[in-house]
Amino acid sequence: MALWLQRLTSALAVWRKTRRLKRLRDPCYAFLFDAEQEPDTYICFDCETTGLNPKKDRIISLSAIKIRGNEILTSEALNLLIPQPGISAESIVVHRIRNADLQSAAQNGEVGGVQVLAEREAIGRFLEFIGANPLVGYYLEFDVAMVNQVVKPWLNVELPNRRIEVSELYYRQRLSELEQGLAMPNIDLKFETILQRLQIPNIGQHDAFSDALMTALIFLKLQSLVKSS
Amino acid sequence: MAIEQQQQFLQQIAPFNELDDRALGVLAQQLDVVYFPVNARITVDSGENAFVYFVIKGHIAELADEVSAGPGVERAQNQLWRAHYAVRSFLGEQVVLNRKLGAQHFSVQEEAILYRLPAPAFTEALHSYAALKQFFEASLVERLNAMHASAQMTASTEIMMDTVCSAPIRALVEVDAKCSLQEAAQKMVALQSDACVVQLPDEVGERMGIVTSTDVLRALASTEFDQRMPVWKLANWPLVSVHEFDYLFNALLKITRHRIDRLVVRSDDGLRGFLTQKDLMGLFANQSGLALLKIEQAGSVADFKVVAQQIDELVVNLHRKGIKTHYIAKLVNELHRKLIEKLFEMWLPENLQERVALLVMGSEGRSEQVLRTDQDNALIFDGLSAAEVTQLQASMQSFTAALVEIGFPPCPGKIMVSNPRWCQSVEGFKAQLKTWFDRPTEEGFMHLAIFYDAQVVVGQQSYFERLRQLLLSRLRDNPMFLRHFAKAALQFDTPIGFFGGLKTDNQGGHARLDLKKGAIFPIVHGVRCLAMEAELTQTNTHWRIKALMDEGVLTEAFGIELGEALNYFNALRLESMLYGQSHGDDIVVDNALDVQRLSHLQQDLLKQALSVVERFKKLLQRHFKLHEVM
Repeated sequence: MALWLQRLTSALAVWRKTRRLKRLRDPCYAFLFDAEQEPDTYICFDCETTGLNPKKDRIISLSAIKIRGNEILTSEALNLLIPQPGISAESIVVHRIRNADLQSAAQNGEVGGVQVLAEREAIGRFLEFIGANPLVGYYLEFDVAMVNQVVKPWLNVELPNRRIEVSELYYRQRLSELEQGLAMPNIDLKFETILQRLQIPNIGQHDAFSDALMTALIFLKLQSLVKSS
Repeated sequence: MAIEQQQQFLQQIAPFNELDDRALGVLAQQLDVVYFPVNARITVDSGENAFVYFVIKGHIAELADEVSAGPGVERAQNQLWRAHYAVRSFLGEQVVLNRKLGAQHFSVQEEAILYRLPAPAFTEALHSYAALKQFFEASLVERLNAMHASAQMTASTEIMMDTVCSAPIRALVEVDAKCSLQEAAQKMVALQSDACVVQLPDEVGERMGIVTSTDVLRALASTEFDQRMPVWKLANWPLVSVHEFDYLFNALLKITRHRIDRLVVRSDDGLRGFLTQKDLMGLFANQSGLALLKIEQAGSVADFKVVAQQIDELVVNLHRKGIKTHYIAKLVNELHRKLIEKLFEMWLPENLQERVALLVMGSEGRSEQVLRTDQDNALIFDGLSAAEVTQLQASMQSFTAALVEIGFPPCPGKIMVSNPRWCQSVEGFKAQLKTWFDRPTEEGFMHLAIFYDAQVVVGQQSYFERLRQLLLSRLRDNPMFLRHFAKAALQFDTPIGFFGGLKTDNQGGHARLDLKKGAIFPIVHGVRCLAMEAELTQTNTHWRIKALMDEGVLTEAFGIELGEALNYFNALRLESMLYGQSHGDDIVVDNALDVQRLSHLQQDLLKQALSVVERFKKLLQRHFKLHEVM
């Protein structure tokens, strides 16, 4: 990217940020709009939801893990469970979270390092956890939309954090590896395929924490590939 | 949900598997995940980098101090790796435990994903849980036993290792010397036993004998049958007995060796009853018993070939079940000897049967060969005419060929009965022995060593005994000889570095270590020399060690350690050979151990066991004053 364009883009980002900051309803969360301070630090996160429609469906669980350098700080991970009325049957198949689990978790307050909180409180914790750090995820747009669904009506802003989409990083990496031909190569962006190609152990389980952890590993591996090439 | 995987992961790693869920949870909660690309360096020290790492994926090598400290790391490569860590092993604990001062340096050989546990969490767990503390502080023997115990626990169904009293024991019928046949038979019927123990009259010289239903039947068939005759006249002796707390597999060995149908079971306070072959076979049901029966039934080379394969399968199964290699070797050698004996009888001309002795030598003689690596055997004869010698040598040619066909690979040094040098008269061997002593050569040393480990499988025990006595008297007359002979135990370096790391060769990208030369041979040969000096008749290294402990040559503690170290090396070697076999290696005799394939625990034990070899060598050096003969 040409230097002038780079400058223009970042200037634009700052301008957008300040404009959004003005709309922020609660000044306690102004830290979200700070400049990125900790170098090489990212937040990888994943949500499990009642369905795939960000307008209607709700977050059931959310895990966020901080990545610092080559470390994935699972010991400090944020694991949230949000009890929601009536989880739809289809989503149960994917996440294996049953209402009963949520209820039992709600009674105990915390289960195996997982906090059980009401929606707004949970998202509040999440915002504190992410700070101004860039976010990393797989199909991150969806997860961010799910969070914004809570944040927007509450704080009148959307998440301002920089976003890094691992499937996009992967796509670029694969493209650079492949012979440049006339036809656009058909690159499979399925999560399982990416794990396999990058030789990252598939934990097998699909919950927010495992997905976030595997996504973080994808991110680190892709970063090291970029560095080495 | 979140920490479950970490917890499950830890649960697969000894000794963490000993912890309860709560303790595992506490550790799991403190794990971070770190990613290292290939060639990255990891340092563990007692300051900022005080961590214990667990390998989730990848392969990591520990670098020796001299490499990690200075420049020129590129040239270092494999020889200076101290240890290798693969999936589910852990590293860094040495520094964290203060076992090692300074720092440990690791190099990532294959892209790695690790769990990282802060040192305080590790030490805290160590203080809170005795099982962990014990593991990290245990001696070699304790750790090996723990390993065997856990392997044996998973194989608690392994009947071989059960005690005799867990088998169905038939009621004991005991009668005195005056008892008549009829009375004895009535007692046997009443107690539903098919045998009875009989006290013998004083003039026999043996106290007890046994009368079985077969003996009664035979008496019935004879013309002089009289039911009032004293039953002892039908008795067989000596009694072959087994202690009630002995292993069942030893009972099987006794039955096989003596070719009898039942054993008398004894306890500390007297006789208890009978254990019959039929009942015992019912317990074994599968391979080991079957293999034994098949040998008895085999009538052709093709039959024997099948049996030999079954014995190999038995080895694999027993090893998987965690049975100590020493026991496996004992059982397998007994079966092999049976097989050789049967085959030999098929090949030996009938007219010569009384005038020969077949020896198995070397590892077979010591009962230490588990997989058939080669055959070392010899034949001694006496009082044969020239024509008979030619006849014998011809039949021995085909005997060796038959053994090769069954799957006993030929000896590369041609130490086989087909070689006239190893098929000689007693006098011929005597001359041979003298040459070995008077004109010592390396080959002569080797032959003498192999010969000293010999055991007679079939034929005249006395032929070999005469040669053995000659050998011993030669040793007594020439004390310097043994000292030179013992020197061979020191000829190969123990593959352990000055700083306690493993020394490996790099063969095709694999860090390999020659276990036979570096570890097994020094023990076997050193123990052999001590046994020669003490004029022991045992040939098995473990039994020799035991006898040397009884004689006070080796201390109790060191003897046990030496035996366990040998067991461990043999187990590793067996594992490596079985691996080679299952992966289609043509060369079964591969003594090179691929260190990378060992788990961290195995490497650790290997290092400890090698240090036992090192101590044993020092002992030999002092004992035979080897520095004077170097």
